[in-house]
Amino acid sequence: MTLLRDQFLPLVLALAVHAAAVLALVGGFQPEREISQVIKPKIVNSTLLVLEPKAKPAPAPKPRAQEPAPAPAKPKPVTKPTPVASKPKPDPEAIRREAEARIQEQKERLRQERLKRLAEQSFADALAAESDAMDTADDDAVALSYQQGIMQLIVANWSRPPSARNGMQARLLVELVPTGEVVGVSVVESSGNGAFDRSAEQAVRKAHRFEVPKDPALFEEKFRRMYLLFQPEDLLR
Amino acid sequence: MPEQLSIFELISNASLLVQIVMGLLMLASVASWMMIFQRWFFLRRASRDMERFEDHFWSGIDLRQLYTELDGGDDLSGIESVFVAGFREFTRMSEQVGADTEAIMQGVQRAMRVAVNREEERLERSLPFLATVGSTSPYVGLFGTVWGIMNSFRSLANMSQATLASVAPGISEALVATAMGLFAAIPAVIGYNRFSARVDVLMNRYEVFSDELTSILQRAAHARTQTKGG
Repeated sequence: MTLLRDQFLPLVLALAVHAAAVLALVGGFQPEREISQVIKPKIVNSTLLVLEPKAKPAPAPKPRAQEPAPAPAKPKPVTKPTPVASKPKPDPEAIRREAEARIQEQKERLRQERLKRLAEQSFADALAAESDAMDTADDDAVALSYQQGIMQLIVANWSRPPSARNGMQARLLVELVPTGEVVGVSVVESSGNGAFDRSAEQAVRKAHRFEVPKDPALFEEKFRRMYLLFQPEDLLR
Repeated sequence: MPEQLSIFELISNASLLVQIVMGLLMLASVASWMMIFQRWFFLRRASRDMERFEDHFWSGIDLRQLYTELDGGDDLSGIESVFVAGFREFTRMSEQVGADTEAIMQGVQRAMRVAVNREEERLERSLPFLATVGSTSPYVGLFGTVWGIMNSFRSLANMSQATLASVAPGISEALVATAMGLFAAIPAVIGYNRFSARVDVLMNRYEVFSDELTSILQRAAHARTQTKGG
Protein backbone atom coordinates (compact mmCIF):
# COMPACT_ATOMS: atom_id res chain seq x y z
CA MET A 1 0.00 0.00 0.00
CA THR A 2 2.70 2.43 1.04
CA LEU A 3 4.78 1.18 -1.86
CA LEU A 4 1.96 2.02 -4.24
CA ARG A 5 1.59 5.47 -2.72
CA ASP A 6 5.33 6.03 -2.75
CA GLN A 7 5.66 5.09 -6.41
CA PHE A 8 2.38 6.28 -7.88
CA LEU A 9 2.69 10.01 -7.30
CA PRO A 10 6.28 10.19 -8.61
CA LEU A 11 5.25 8.20 -11.67
CA VAL A 12 2.35 10.56 -12.41
CA LEU A 13 4.59 13.60 -11.93
CA ALA A 14 7.31 12.13 -14.14
CA LEU A 15 4.80 11.44 -16.91
CA ALA A 16 3.43 14.97 -16.53
CA VAL A 17 6.92 16.42 -16.96
CA HIS A 18 7.41 14.41 -20.16
CA ALA A 19 4.01 15.32 -21.53
CA ALA A 20 4.81 18.99 -20.95
CA ALA A 21 8.17 18.59 -22.69
CA VAL A 22 6.58 16.90 -25.71
CA LEU A 23 3.92 19.62 -25.94
CA ALA A 24 6.53 22.35 -25.79
CA LEU A 25 8.53 20.57 -28.46
CA VAL A 26 5.55 20.16 -30.79
CA GLY A 27 4.51 23.76 -30.27
CA GLY A 28 8.00 25.06 -30.93
CA PHE A 29 8.77 22.82 -33.86
CA GLN A 30 6.23 23.96 -36.47
CA PRO A 31 6.85 27.67 -37.26
CA GLU A 32 10.37 27.11 -38.60
CA ARG A 33 8.97 25.05 -41.44
CA GLU A 34 6.34 27.56 -42.47
CA ILE A 35 8.88 30.17 -43.49
CA SER A 36 10.27 27.98 -46.24
CA GLN A 37 6.85 27.71 -47.87
CA VAL A 38 6.75 31.39 -48.77
CA ILE A 39 9.12 30.90 -51.72
CA LYS A 40 6.61 28.92 -53.77
CA PRO A 41 4.30 31.39 -55.62
CA LYS A 42 6.60 32.07 -58.63
CA ILE A 43 4.57 29.90 -61.01
CA VAL A 44 1.23 31.20 -59.76
CA ASN A 45 2.31 34.72 -60.63
CA SER A 46 2.94 33.93 -64.26
CA THR A 47 -0.48 32.37 -64.79
CA LEU A 48 -2.11 35.42 -63.25
CA LEU A 49 -0.36 37.58 -65.85
CA VAL A 50 -1.98 35.60 -68.62
CA LEU A 51 -5.40 35.86 -67.05
CA GLU A 52 -5.32 39.62 -66.80
CA PRO A 53 -5.39 40.54 -70.51
CA LYS A 54 -8.24 38.09 -71.11
CA ALA A 55 -10.56 40.03 -68.88
CA LYS A 56 -9.85 43.30 -70.67
CA PRO A 57 -11.24 42.78 -74.22
CA ALA A 58 -14.89 43.07 -73.16
CA PRO A 59 -14.77 46.68 -71.99
CA ALA A 60 -11.97 47.78 -74.33
CA PRO A 61 -13.66 47.63 -77.77
CA LYS A 62 -16.74 49.49 -76.60
CA PRO A 63 -15.30 52.96 -76.47
CA ARG A 64 -13.72 52.38 -79.88
CA ALA A 65 -17.01 51.32 -81.46
CA GLN A 66 -18.70 54.40 -80.14
CA GLU A 67 -16.08 56.71 -81.51
CA PRO A 68 -16.98 56.31 -85.21
CA ALA A 69 -20.62 56.98 -84.41
CA PRO A 70 -20.29 60.74 -83.96
CA ALA A 71 -18.22 61.00 -87.14
CA PRO A 72 -20.91 59.74 -89.58
CA ALA A 73 -23.51 61.69 -87.66
CA LYS A 74 -22.01 64.82 -89.14
CA PRO A 75 -23.28 64.19 -92.69
CA LYS A 76 -26.79 64.54 -91.32
CA PRO A 77 -26.82 68.28 -91.42
CA VAL A 78 -25.33 68.02 -94.91
CA THR A 79 -28.20 65.87 -96.22
CA LYS A 80 -30.79 68.00 -94.57
CA PRO A 81 -30.22 71.01 -96.76
CA THR A 82 -31.31 68.98 -99.82
CA PRO A 83 -34.91 68.63 -98.67
CA VAL A 84 -34.77 72.26 -97.72
CA ALA A 85 -33.53 73.07 -101.23
CA SER A 86 -36.19 70.92 -102.87
CA LYS A 87 -38.96 72.40 -100.85
CA PRO A 88 -39.28 75.61 -102.85
CA LYS A 89 -40.22 73.52 -105.94
CA PRO A 90 -43.95 73.23 -105.58
CA ASP A 91 -44.85 71.12 -108.67
CA PRO A 92 -45.42 67.35 -107.95
CA GLU A 93 -44.75 67.63 -104.28
CA ALA A 94 -46.07 64.26 -103.31
CA ILE A 95 -43.96 62.31 -105.80
CA ARG A 96 -40.87 64.25 -105.02
CA ARG A 97 -41.37 63.82 -101.33
CA GLU A 98 -41.81 60.16 -101.77
CA ALA A 99 -38.65 59.94 -103.83
CA GLU A 100 -36.74 62.06 -101.36
CA ALA A 101 -37.98 59.97 -98.52
CA ARG A 102 -36.83 56.88 -100.33
CA ILE A 103 -33.43 58.38 -101.10
CA GLN A 104 -33.05 59.43 -97.52
CA GLU A 105 -34.05 56.03 -96.33
CA GLN A 106 -31.47 54.45 -98.60
CA LYS A 107 -28.83 56.87 -97.46
CA GLU A 108 -29.74 56.18 -93.89
CA ARG A 109 -29.49 52.47 -94.48
CA LEU A 110 -26.14 52.83 -96.21
CA ARG A 111 -24.83 54.97 -93.43
CA GLN A 112 -25.93 52.54 -90.82
CA GLU A 113 -24.42 49.64 -92.68
CA ARG A 114 -21.18 51.50 -93.00
CA LEU A 115 -21.35 52.33 -89.35
CA LYS A 116 -21.96 48.75 -88.43
CA ARG A 117 -19.11 47.60 -90.64
CA LEU A 118 -16.83 50.15 -89.10
CA ALA A 119 -17.81 49.09 -85.62
CA GLU A 120 -17.28 45.44 -86.47
CA GLN A 121 -13.95 46.13 -88.03
CA SER A 122 -12.72 48.18 -85.11
CA PHE A 123 -13.92 45.45 -82.78
CA ALA A 124 -12.04 42.84 -84.79
CA ASP A 125 -8.98 45.07 -84.88
CA ALA A 126 -9.17 45.53 -81.15
CA LEU A 127 -9.51 41.79 -80.66
CA ALA A 128 -6.55 41.06 -82.89
CA ALA A 129 -4.46 43.64 -81.11
CA GLU A 130 -5.46 42.18 -77.76
CA SER A 131 -4.63 38.64 -78.77
CA ASP A 132 -1.30 39.81 -80.15
CA ALA A 133 -0.52 41.55 -76.91
CA MET A 134 -1.64 38.46 -75.07
CA ASP A 135 0.57 36.23 -77.17
CA THR A 136 3.63 38.34 -76.62
CA ALA A 137 2.91 38.57 -72.90
CA ASP A 138 2.45 34.82 -72.85
CA ASP A 139 5.68 34.30 -74.76
CA ASP A 140 7.50 36.60 -72.41
CA ALA A 141 6.23 34.73 -69.41
CA VAL A 142 7.19 31.36 -70.92
CA ALA A 143 10.61 32.65 -71.95
CA LEU A 144 11.13 34.08 -68.49
CA SER A 145 10.34 30.79 -66.80
CA TYR A 146 12.75 28.94 -69.10
CA GLN A 147 15.39 31.60 -68.53
CA GLN A 148 14.99 31.19 -64.82
CA GLY A 149 15.44 27.46 -65.17
CA ILE A 150 18.62 28.00 -67.19
CA MET A 151 19.92 30.47 -64.65
CA GLN A 152 19.31 28.07 -61.79
CA LEU A 153 21.08 25.26 -63.59
CA ILE A 154 24.09 27.44 -64.31
CA VAL A 155 24.25 28.79 -60.78
CA ALA A 156 24.09 25.22 -59.47
CA ASN A 157 27.03 24.27 -61.67
CA TRP A 158 29.05 27.38 -61.11
CA SER A 159 31.92 27.23 -58.68
CA ARG A 160 33.47 30.63 -58.30
CA PRO A 161 37.22 30.87 -58.10
CA PRO A 162 38.57 32.23 -54.82
CA SER A 163 39.83 35.27 -56.70
CA ALA A 164 36.29 36.35 -57.62
CA ARG A 165 35.39 39.76 -56.21
CA ASN A 166 32.21 41.75 -56.02
CA GLY A 167 31.84 44.02 -59.02
CA MET A 168 33.39 41.65 -61.54
CA GLN A 169 31.22 40.73 -64.45
CA ALA A 170 31.72 38.58 -67.49
CA ARG A 171 29.39 38.43 -70.48
CA LEU A 172 29.19 35.13 -72.30
CA LEU A 173 27.57 34.23 -75.60
CA VAL A 174 25.93 30.84 -75.43
CA GLU A 175 24.66 29.13 -78.57
CA LEU A 176 22.05 26.42 -78.35
CA VAL A 177 20.41 24.01 -80.76
CA PRO A 178 16.64 23.38 -80.55
CA THR A 179 17.17 20.29 -78.38
CA GLY A 180 18.71 22.54 -75.75
CA GLU A 181 22.25 21.28 -76.26
CA VAL A 182 25.02 23.82 -75.84
CA VAL A 183 27.03 24.08 -79.06
CA GLY A 184 29.12 27.13 -78.39
CA VAL A 185 30.30 29.20 -75.47
CA SER A 186 32.47 32.25 -75.83
CA VAL A 187 33.43 35.11 -73.61
CA VAL A 188 32.16 38.33 -75.15
CA GLU A 189 33.17 40.68 -72.43
CA SER A 190 35.90 39.62 -70.04
CA SER A 191 35.81 40.43 -66.35
CA GLY A 192 39.54 41.04 -66.38
CA ASN A 193 40.12 37.93 -64.32
CA GLY A 194 40.93 34.88 -66.40
CA ALA A 195 39.96 32.39 -63.70
CA PHE A 196 36.58 34.01 -63.25
CA ASP A 197 35.88 33.93 -67.01
CA ARG A 198 36.92 30.32 -67.21
CA SER A 199 34.75 29.38 -64.24
CA ALA A 200 31.73 30.98 -65.91
CA GLU A 201 32.48 29.16 -69.16
CA GLN A 202 32.93 25.91 -67.26
CA ALA A 203 29.59 26.41 -65.53
CA VAL A 204 27.79 26.59 -68.88
CA ARG A 205 29.72 23.62 -70.28
CA LYS A 206 29.03 21.56 -67.18
CA ALA A 207 25.31 22.29 -67.44
CA HIS A 208 25.67 20.85 -70.98
CA ARG A 209 21.96 20.81 -71.78
CA PHE A 210 19.20 23.26 -70.95
CA GLU A 211 15.44 23.04 -70.96
CA VAL A 212 14.20 25.20 -73.86
CA PRO A 213 10.69 26.00 -75.15
CA LYS A 214 9.24 23.69 -77.82
CA ASP A 215 7.90 26.65 -79.82
CA PRO A 216 10.48 27.14 -82.65
CA ALA A 217 9.68 30.84 -83.14
CA LEU A 218 10.24 31.60 -79.50
CA PHE A 219 13.40 29.52 -79.49
CA GLU A 220 14.83 31.32 -82.51
CA GLU A 221 13.99 34.67 -81.02
CA LYS A 222 15.33 34.25 -77.52
CA PHE A 223 17.30 31.07 -77.05
CA ARG A 224 19.40 30.32 -80.11
CA ARG A 225 21.92 32.95 -79.07
CA MET A 226 21.86 33.98 -75.45
CA TYR A 227 23.98 36.56 -73.73
CA LEU A 228 24.59 35.67 -70.10
CA LEU A 229 25.95 38.06 -67.53
CA PHE A 230 27.94 36.51 -64.69
CA GLN A 231 28.31 38.47 -61.49
CA PRO A 232 29.61 36.98 -58.27
CA GLU A 233 27.00 38.93 -56.25
CA ASP A 234 24.39 36.59 -57.66
CA LEU A 235 25.74 33.79 -55.51
CA LEU A 236 25.97 35.73 -52.31
CA ARG A 237 22.27 35.48 -51.68
CA MET B 1 8.08 21.71 -49.33
CA PRO B 2 4.65 20.20 -48.92
CA GLU B 3 5.37 17.76 -46.10
CA GLN B 4 5.68 19.10 -42.60
CA LEU B 5 8.72 17.78 -40.80
CA SER B 6 7.15 17.20 -37.44
CA ILE B 7 9.12 15.69 -34.59
CA PHE B 8 6.89 12.62 -34.65
CA GLU B 9 7.59 12.01 -38.32
CA LEU B 10 11.28 12.32 -37.61
CA ILE B 11 10.99 9.67 -34.92
CA SER B 12 8.77 7.34 -36.93
CA ASN B 13 11.03 7.61 -39.99
CA ALA B 14 14.17 6.75 -38.05
CA SER B 15 15.77 3.36 -38.46
CA LEU B 16 14.91 0.57 -36.05
CA LEU B 17 18.10 0.78 -34.01
CA VAL B 18 17.75 4.52 -33.57
CA GLN B 19 14.14 4.00 -32.53
CA ILE B 20 15.22 1.42 -29.95
CA VAL B 21 17.81 3.83 -28.62
CA MET B 22 15.19 6.55 -28.42
CA GLY B 23 12.76 4.27 -26.61
CA LEU B 24 15.46 3.25 -24.15
CA LEU B 25 16.30 6.86 -23.45
CA MET B 26 12.64 7.74 -23.03
CA LEU B 27 12.27 4.94 -20.48
CA ALA B 28 15.42 6.05 -18.69
CA SER B 29 14.14 9.60 -18.61
CA VAL B 30 10.74 8.63 -17.19
CA ALA B 31 12.36 6.35 -14.62
CA SER B 32 14.89 8.95 -13.56
CA TRP B 33 12.20 11.60 -13.17
CA MET B 34 10.25 9.10 -11.08
CA MET B 35 13.29 8.56 -8.86
CA ILE B 36 13.84 12.30 -8.62
CA PHE B 37 10.32 12.96 -7.39
CA GLN B 38 10.36 9.95 -5.08
CA ARG B 39 13.73 10.90 -3.54
CA TRP B 40 12.61 14.48 -3.27
CA PHE B 41 9.52 13.56 -1.24
CA PHE B 42 11.45 10.99 0.80
CA LEU B 43 14.33 13.28 1.74
CA ARG B 44 12.02 16.15 2.53
CA ARG B 45 10.06 13.88 4.85
CA ALA B 46 13.27 12.53 6.40
CA SER B 47 14.66 15.97 7.26
CA ARG B 48 11.28 17.10 8.59
CA ASP B 49 11.10 13.98 10.81
CA MET B 50 14.64 14.64 11.93
CA GLU B 51 13.83 18.15 13.06
CA ARG B 52 10.66 17.07 14.83
CA PHE B 53 12.44 14.28 16.67
CA GLU B 54 15.31 16.48 17.74
CA ASP B 55 12.90 19.05 19.12
CA HIS B 56 11.17 16.26 20.98
CA PHE B 57 14.43 14.73 22.18
CA TRP B 58 15.92 17.92 23.56
CA SER B 59 12.69 19.08 25.15
CA GLY B 60 13.81 17.40 28.39
CA ILE B 61 11.66 14.29 28.04
CA ASP B 62 12.67 11.16 29.94
CA LEU B 63 14.53 8.86 27.51
CA ARG B 64 12.89 5.70 28.83
CA GLN B 65 9.47 7.22 28.21
CA LEU B 66 10.49 8.28 24.72
CA TYR B 67 11.74 4.74 24.08
CA THR B 68 8.49 3.08 25.14
CA GLU B 69 6.58 5.62 23.06
CA LEU B 70 8.55 4.80 19.94
CA ASP B 71 9.16 1.08 20.40
CA GLY B 72 5.53 0.21 19.84
CA GLY B 73 5.29 2.02 16.48
CA ASP B 74 6.24 0.11 13.35
CA ASP B 75 6.75 3.11 11.06
CA LEU B 76 9.93 4.57 12.46
CA SER B 77 11.72 7.38 10.68
CA GLY B 78 15.49 7.32 10.24
CA ILE B 79 16.60 9.10 13.37
CA GLU B 80 13.97 7.36 15.51
CA SER B 81 15.22 3.94 14.54
CA VAL B 82 18.79 4.96 15.43
CA PHE B 83 17.62 6.07 18.84
CA VAL B 84 15.51 2.93 19.39
CA ALA B 85 18.38 0.62 18.36
CA GLY B 86 20.85 2.36 20.68
CA PHE B 87 18.54 2.55 23.64
CA ARG B 88 17.31 -1.04 23.28
CA GLU B 89 20.90 -2.29 23.32
CA PHE B 90 21.60 -0.13 26.35
CA THR B 91 18.67 -1.49 28.37
CA ARG B 92 19.46 -5.08 27.39
CA MET B 93 23.14 -4.79 28.30
CA SER B 94 22.50 -3.01 31.54
CA GLU B 95 20.00 -5.68 32.64
CA GLN B 96 22.77 -8.29 32.48
CA VAL B 97 24.62 -8.72 35.70
CA GLY B 98 28.32 -7.95 35.72
CA ALA B 99 28.39 -5.87 32.54
CA ASP B 100 30.83 -3.00 32.94
CA THR B 101 30.46 0.46 31.39
CA GLU B 102 32.99 -0.26 28.68
CA ALA B 103 31.16 -3.32 27.39
CA ILE B 104 27.76 -1.61 27.52
CA MET B 105 28.99 1.39 25.57
CA GLN B 106 30.70 -0.77 22.96
CA GLY B 107 27.46 -2.68 22.38
CA VAL B 108 25.44 0.55 22.16
CA GLN B 109 27.83 2.12 19.66
CA ARG B 110 27.83 -0.97 17.51
CA ALA B 111 24.04 -1.14 17.47
CA MET B 112 23.74 2.52 16.55
CA ARG B 113 26.37 2.23 13.82
CA VAL B 114 24.40 -0.61 12.30
CA ALA B 115 21.21 1.44 12.46
CA VAL B 116 22.91 4.48 10.91
CA ASN B 117 24.29 2.33 8.12
CA ARG B 118 20.87 0.87 7.46
CA GLU B 119 19.43 4.36 7.30
CA GLU B 120 22.14 5.50 4.92
CA GLU B 121 21.22 2.63 2.66
CA ARG B 122 17.59 3.71 2.73
CA LEU B 123 18.43 7.33 2.00
CA GLU B 124 20.72 6.52 -0.90
CA ARG B 125 18.45 4.04 -2.57
CA SER B 126 18.07 4.72 -6.34
CA LEU B 127 20.71 7.42 -6.32
CA PRO B 128 23.11 5.09 -8.17
CA PHE B 129 20.45 4.74 -10.84
CA LEU B 130 20.35 8.49 -11.30
CA ALA B 131 24.13 8.56 -11.53
CA THR B 132 24.09 5.82 -14.16
CA VAL B 133 21.45 7.55 -16.27
CA GLY B 134 23.27 10.85 -15.92
CA SER B 135 26.58 9.51 -17.06
CA THR B 136 25.59 7.00 -19.75
CA SER B 137 22.52 8.37 -21.51
CA PRO B 138 24.47 11.05 -23.45
CA TYR B 139 26.63 8.27 -24.82
CA VAL B 140 23.64 6.13 -25.67
CA GLY B 141 22.08 9.11 -27.47
CA LEU B 142 25.34 9.77 -29.25
CA PHE B 143 25.46 6.18 -30.37
CA GLY B 144 21.99 6.52 -31.89
CA THR B 145 23.02 9.72 -33.63
CA VAL B 146 26.21 8.29 -35.07
CA TRP B 147 24.34 5.28 -36.33
CA GLY B 148 21.63 7.44 -37.92
CA ILE B 149 24.14 9.76 -39.60
CA MET B 150 26.12 6.78 -40.82
CA ASN B 151 22.99 5.40 -42.49
CA SER B 152 21.98 8.70 -44.00
CA PHE B 153 25.41 9.15 -45.54
CA ARG B 154 25.44 5.61 -46.81
CA SER B 155 22.13 6.20 -48.59
CA LEU B 156 23.67 9.37 -50.01
CA ALA B 157 26.26 7.27 -51.81
CA ASN B 158 23.53 5.74 -54.01
CA MET B 159 22.31 9.10 -55.26
CA SER B 160 23.65 10.75 -58.39
CA GLN B 161 22.83 14.26 -57.19
CA ALA B 162 23.82 14.87 -53.60
CA THR B 163 21.88 17.78 -52.17
CA LEU B 164 21.65 19.00 -48.64
CA ALA B 165 17.92 18.27 -48.71
CA SER B 166 18.57 14.56 -49.19
CA VAL B 167 20.76 14.19 -46.07
CA ALA B 168 19.23 16.81 -43.82
CA PRO B 169 16.18 14.80 -42.68
CA GLY B 170 18.35 11.80 -41.82
CA ILE B 171 20.76 13.89 -39.80
CA SER B 172 17.91 15.71 -38.12
CA GLU B 173 16.25 12.48 -37.04
CA ALA B 174 19.55 11.11 -35.85
CA LEU B 175 20.16 14.22 -33.76
CA VAL B 176 16.84 13.68 -32.01
CA ALA B 177 18.54 10.75 -30.26
CA THR B 178 21.28 13.01 -28.85
CA ALA B 179 18.69 15.52 -27.75
CA MET B 180 16.81 12.81 -25.92
CA GLY B 181 20.00 11.55 -24.28
CA LEU B 182 20.76 15.00 -22.97
CA PHE B 183 17.16 15.46 -21.93
CA ALA B 184 17.42 12.33 -19.81
CA ALA B 185 20.91 13.03 -18.50
CA ILE B 186 20.67 16.64 -17.34
CA PRO B 187 17.90 16.24 -14.74
CA ALA B 188 19.44 12.97 -13.57
CA VAL B 189 22.84 14.58 -12.93
CA ILE B 190 21.30 17.60 -11.22
CA GLY B 191 19.09 15.31 -9.12
CA TYR B 192 21.98 13.06 -8.21
CA ASN B 193 24.20 15.92 -7.06
CA ARG B 194 21.46 17.61 -5.12
CA PHE B 195 20.20 14.49 -3.41
CA SER B 196 23.60 13.10 -2.55
CA ALA B 197 24.42 16.45 -0.90
CA ARG B 198 21.23 16.26 1.11
CA VAL B 199 21.95 12.65 2.08
CA ASP B 200 25.39 13.73 3.29
CA VAL B 201 23.85 16.45 5.43
CA LEU B 202 21.34 14.00 6.91
CA MET B 203 24.01 11.35 7.55
CA ASN B 204 26.14 13.91 9.28
CA ARG B 205 23.29 14.84 11.56
CA TYR B 206 22.55 11.16 12.32
CA GLU B 207 26.16 10.61 13.32
CA VAL B 208 26.23 13.72 15.49
CA PHE B 209 23.03 12.58 17.13
CA SER B 210 24.35 9.08 17.76
CA ASP B 211 27.48 10.56 19.37
CA GLU B 212 25.36 12.74 21.58
CA LEU B 213 23.18 9.80 22.58
CA THR B 214 26.30 7.74 23.29
CA SER B 215 27.62 10.35 25.67
CA ILE B 216 24.26 10.64 27.45
CA LEU B 217 24.00 6.86 27.81
CA GLN B 218 27.62 6.59 28.94
CA ARG B 219 26.89 9.09 31.67
CA ALA B 220 23.87 7.02 32.69
CA ALA B 221 25.85 3.76 32.65
CA HIS B 222 28.61 5.32 34.67
CA ALA B 223 26.12 6.55 37.27
CA ARG B 224 24.56 3.06 37.44
CA THR B 225 27.90 1.31 38.13
CA GLN B 226 28.73 3.98 40.69
CA THR B 227 25.48 3.38 42.58
CA LYS B 228 25.96 -0.40 42.33
CA GLY B 229 29.49 -0.20 43.51
CA GLY B 230 28.58 2.24 46.28
